[in-house]
Amino acid sequence: MITYLVRHYIFTLTVLKDAQKHKKTATGGNATYQPTVSILIPARNEEKVIGRLLQRMTELTYPKDKLQIIVVDDASTDNTGIIAEQYSNTQNYIKIIQRSRKEGGRGKGSALNAGFKQATGEIILCFDADYYPQRDIVEKLSKEFVDPRVGVVQGRITVLNESQNTVTRLVTLERIGGYRVDQQARDSLGLITQFGGTVGGIRRSLLERLGGWDESILAEDTDLTFRAYLAGYKVCYVKEAECYEEAVESWQDYWKQRYRWAKGHMQCAFKHSKRVLKSNSLGFREKLDGLLLLNVYFMPVLVLCSWIIGALLLFLKSPQWLSMVWTIMPIFLYSFVGNFAPFFEVGIGAYLDGRTRAQWLLPLLIFTFLYNIPICTKALLDLAISKIFGRNCNHWTKTPHSGNGNTYINS
Amino acid sequence: MILNPITTFILLIIGVSTFIFIMLLPALFELKRPKDAGPRMIMEYPLFTQPELGRVSMANVEEEQRLDQKLVEKIADIIAVLPNLEA
Repeated sequence: MITYLVRHYIFTLTVLKDAQKHKKTATGGNATYQPTVSILIPARNEEKVIGRLLQRMTELTYPKDKLQIIVVDDASTDNTGIIAEQYSNTQNYIKIIQRSRKEGGRGKGSALNAGFKQATGEIILCFDADYYPQRDIVEKLSKEFVDPRVGVVQGRITVLNESQNTVTRLVTLERIGGYRVDQQARDSLGLITQFGGTVGGIRRSLLERLGGWDESILAEDTDLTFRAYLAGYKVCYVKEAECYEEAVESWQDYWKQRYRWAKGHMQCAFKHSKRVLKSNSLGFREKLDGLLLLNVYFMPVLVLCSWIIGALLLFLKSPQWLSMVWTIMPIFLYSFVGNFAPFFEVGIGAYLDGRTRAQWLLPLLIFTFLYNIPICTKALLDLAISKIFGRNCNHWTKTPHSGNGNTYINS
Repeated sequence: MILNPITTFILLIIGVSTFIFIMLLPALFELKRPKDAGPRMIMEYPLFTQPELGRVSMANVEEEQRLDQKLVEKIADIIAVLPNLEA
C-alpha cells in the first residue's frame, strides 16, 4: 500500500520537474519518417458516433496513399455498417469488414484480430468509434517507430463531453491524472508505459510475432502492453498526440466499463505477474512498476478487507491494542491509497493543464474511489467463481455512446 | 472535564458532518456554476463550444506553456523536502 503512495508521489514529482525543464517526454522521433499505416476501428452499434470519426479520418493530414482505414462492423444491429459504407464508397482507402452475428460480438480483441487480417500497413493504429483525433495525429504517433526499440505507441486521451454532468467531470479528472501525470511519468522514468488500446498503435512485425490480440483477456490492451515489454520492446507515450473521447455519462455505464477494466486487469495480473518477475528483458524498476500496474485493481478489494476486519475486531472484543490497530488501519489505508496521493496527482495534473478551477472538484473523487470498491470486489469474485466452476468469464459488455459529444463539435 | 458518551457522540457527528460539508463546498460551487474552462482544447483551431453557457469556453493548450514557472518551482521544492520531513 505504501509502495503505491510513494509511486504516486514519484510520478507527480517527475512531471513537475519535467514541466520545470519543459522536457519533452516523446523520444523525438523523425517527422520525415512516414511508414504505411493501417487504422483499425472496431465498431459495434456505434451509429451515433462512427460518422463523426470517419469524417475526421478523411481530414487526416497523413498521405492518403500510405493510409488504410479498416472499420470492423462487429455484427451491429443498427446503422453503423451503412454509415461506414457511405464513407468507403467515396474514399478508396476506407474499407469495411462486416462480421456476422456468428462471428461478431466476442469483444474488442476479436474484432481487432479480424481487422488485422486485412491490414497491410507497417504500423497498426487503433481508434475506438467514439474518438475524435487531431488531424495530424498519425504523423505524431507513427514517427516514434523510427526507433527500432519502440514496439507500441500511446497518445493522450482527453474527454470531449466533459461539461455534460458530474460523472463526465469526474472521469475527466481521472483521465488527467492518468495521462498528464501517470503515463508521462512512466515514460520519463523508463517504466512500464501502458497501451490503452486506442489512440495508439503497434508495429506490425511485433503484432505478428505476438500472434495478434489475446481474445481471452478482457483488458486486451494491458495484455498487449506486457507482451510487448516481455518481447523486449517498449511502449512510447506521445503526449502531443491528443484525441477526444466520449466519456461514460452515467454511474451505471461507469460501473460496466470499470468492471470490465478491473476484471481484465486481474486476468492480466494472473497471466503476467510471474513472467514479469522472471523476465530477462526487464530491469528491477520495470519489474516493480509492472507488478504495481498489474495489481492496482486489487487495492480497493484490500481496502474493503481491512474495513471488514477492523469492524469485526471491534465487535469481537479483541485485546485493546489490537482493536486500536484495526480501527486505525482502514483510515490509514484509505488516507494513503484512496485519498492523498492520487488526489494530489490529479490536482497537479489539472494544474499543469491550466485547469485550476477543475481542482475544485477533487474532493468528489472520493465517491469514485468508494464506487470502485464494490466494482473491483465483484470483478474478483466473479473471476474466482468462473475459475472454480470453469465458466466463461469473458463476456464483453460494450460501453454505450450517446453521441452527445457531437454538440461540442462545430462541423 | 469529561463529556458523557452521548454528548461526545453528538459532537463527533456534528464535527464530521461539518468537515465533510466544508470539504465538499468548493466542489458544490463548481458543479452549480461551472467556471472551469474545459474541455481542454487539443485542436489548432477552436472547434468546440459549450452551448449551454453560450460562449466559447476552452482551456487553450498554450496555457500549459504560459505556466507560472516560479509557482511550479516552489511546489517542486516543497515536495522534494517532504521525504526528509517524514524521516
